[in-house]
Amino acid sequence: MLTPEDFVQGNSYRIIYLHVPASFISQSLYIAMAIASAIFLIWKVKLSVYLVRSIAPIGAITTFIALISGSIWGIPTWGTWWAWDARIVSTLILFIMYLGLISLHDSFSNHEKADKFLSILVLVGSVNIPIIKMSVEWWSTLHQPASITISDKPAIDLVMLYPLFGSIVGFAGLVTCLVILSSKLQILRRERNKSWIKNYV
Amino acid sequence: MAEAFLMQSQNGQNHGIFVWSVVVIVFLCILATFIFYKINIKKISKKLK
Repeated sequence: MLTPEDFVQGNSYRIIYLHVPASFISQSLYIAMAIASAIFLIWKVKLSVYLVRSIAPIGAITTFIALISGSIWGIPTWGTWWAWDARIVSTLILFIMYLGLISLHDSFSNHEKADKFLSILVLVGSVNIPIIKMSVEWWSTLHQPASITISDKPAIDLVMLYPLFGSIVGFAGLVTCLVILSSKLQILRRERNKSWIKNYV
Repeated sequence: MAEAFLMQSQNGQNHGIFVWSVVVIVFLCILATFIFYKINIKKISKKLK
């Protein structure tokens, strides 16, 4: 309500304040998972693989929000809720990957094996992140190119840009809270037979 | 109030339904996830006690 109406898109552009943070954070969470997976595979830090498993459902939810908000935004802007466009399809793949990682980990009865396979698959799947990022440059897409880049002046007016940064920070805060809760549950589940956890509870 | 809900744009289209539906979906997703984890943490903590 505080930002002005967009000249071309009208008020529907306000979806940007939820769509952009959700898609930015869904990709950032996957990068965090890839780093944690590498730490687990190299140094065998158990906590990092707990973090990977905790982030996966939160990543799936943020990717779902990015896809659904983009679809709803597409109706008044593009005249369609879905297009088989490179950016949209690569984001859909990210969503399916998150679900696949959760299913893969839960399908094993042996936790050690599950952790190892999960970490390897997360690292293999990380190839999708640069594809999502560059999809609007490499292919001709319905989805617009990035409005904010490191090298160029932002294509979005500052009146709209500052609230966008605010919403990204706010959304990141909410997601961090959810990741902390998810990690707590994961640690309680995995360490339930250890003596320290009984003292903690 | 009605203006904020309808969000009529200069081209005459009402975009409120799109914007508010996204707000509701995001709110419900985050709330449901928060409640899910809170309940499960409580359940497992009780079991461990």
